[in-house]
Amino acid sequence: MSGRRTAFEIYWEILVFCRTSQSFTGIVNRCNLNSKTGQEYLGFLVVKEYLVEVADGDKIRYVSTERAGEYIALFNSLYRKLFDTAPRFKL
Amino acid sequence: MHESTLIRFRSEIRHFYLITVANIVFAALLMAFGISGLVGQAVLIYETFSTVAYVIYSPVVLIIALFAALAGFGWILTSVRVFEGIEAIKDELDEKRGVVSDEDLTRLIVSMLSHYRDNRATIRTMILVCTLGGVCSFFLGVLGSLEFLSVSTDGIVFTLNNYLVIPFMLLTLGVALVSLASSSYFSRFARVWDERLDEIGESEALLKETLELDRR
Repeated sequence: MSGRRTAFEIYWEILVFCRTSQSFTGIVNRCNLNSKTGQEYLGFLVVKEYLVEVADGDKIRYVSTERAGEYIALFNSLYRKLFDTAPRFKL
Repeated sequence: MHESTLIRFRSEIRHFYLITVANIVFAALLMAFGISGLVGQAVLIYETFSTVAYVIYSPVVLIIALFAALAGFGWILTSVRVFEGIEAIKDELDEKRGVVSDEDLTRLIVSMLSHYRDNRATIRTMILVCTLGGVCSFFLGVLGSLEFLSVSTDGIVFTLNNYLVIPFMLLTLGVALVSLASSSYFSRFARVWDERLDEIGESEALLKETLELDRR
């Protein structure tokens, strides 16, 4: 996903993608981030324990924790709610 | 809740997709009318200055045709930019058909929001360009078909150039109507999505709290 996104949207995308363990490069490519911002976002999520680092040989992979589920569910419900209430666009 | 959200989202995307397609088609028509008007006037200018005939070209039609051609061109460029993003989202929705998971739906909503954020200024421009295109097209249709026009206190008297011109006039008036309608639809779309962006802004406090950003 590209385009102008909020930090919360990027966190959500990372956490959903990391439900199965992912490499740093995979996350950065999938979420359309550069390595500097990618490191910032991942660092934050690791500190907050939404992501854990898992050693895979000499590489590190990232996996979402159970705590991430709470954030993902809240995010999903808030964004879907946008279409449950008026106004709506139609021809 | 998921079903109704999906149905609404899908219907909005389809409606907006139709408007952007209609915009591209009518922008191309407006540009074509503008160019044909310019070419016609160029021929008349040449005839005016190369023969001893009276001045037979109309500067008003020339200017409106030039505006129409430029507005049509600008209109195509802006419509295509918006169309590409909408097409990608619509294609993804169509590929998934009836089965869209919660996360896929949220991802598409986020894509649409980010597409709207990226093209907010463009959509505002489209509202103006559509209105301008509609007005140009309207005047081009009316002026191009008039042979004589007189407005006085007794009333308005006009004669049409030729019955053959009437279909052209109706077509340009059709383009004018569609572009003015598009402008109105774009305004409504922008209003709805602006409200959604505001709602998201309000929801961010809750997300922030969940992520414990305040305690960072």
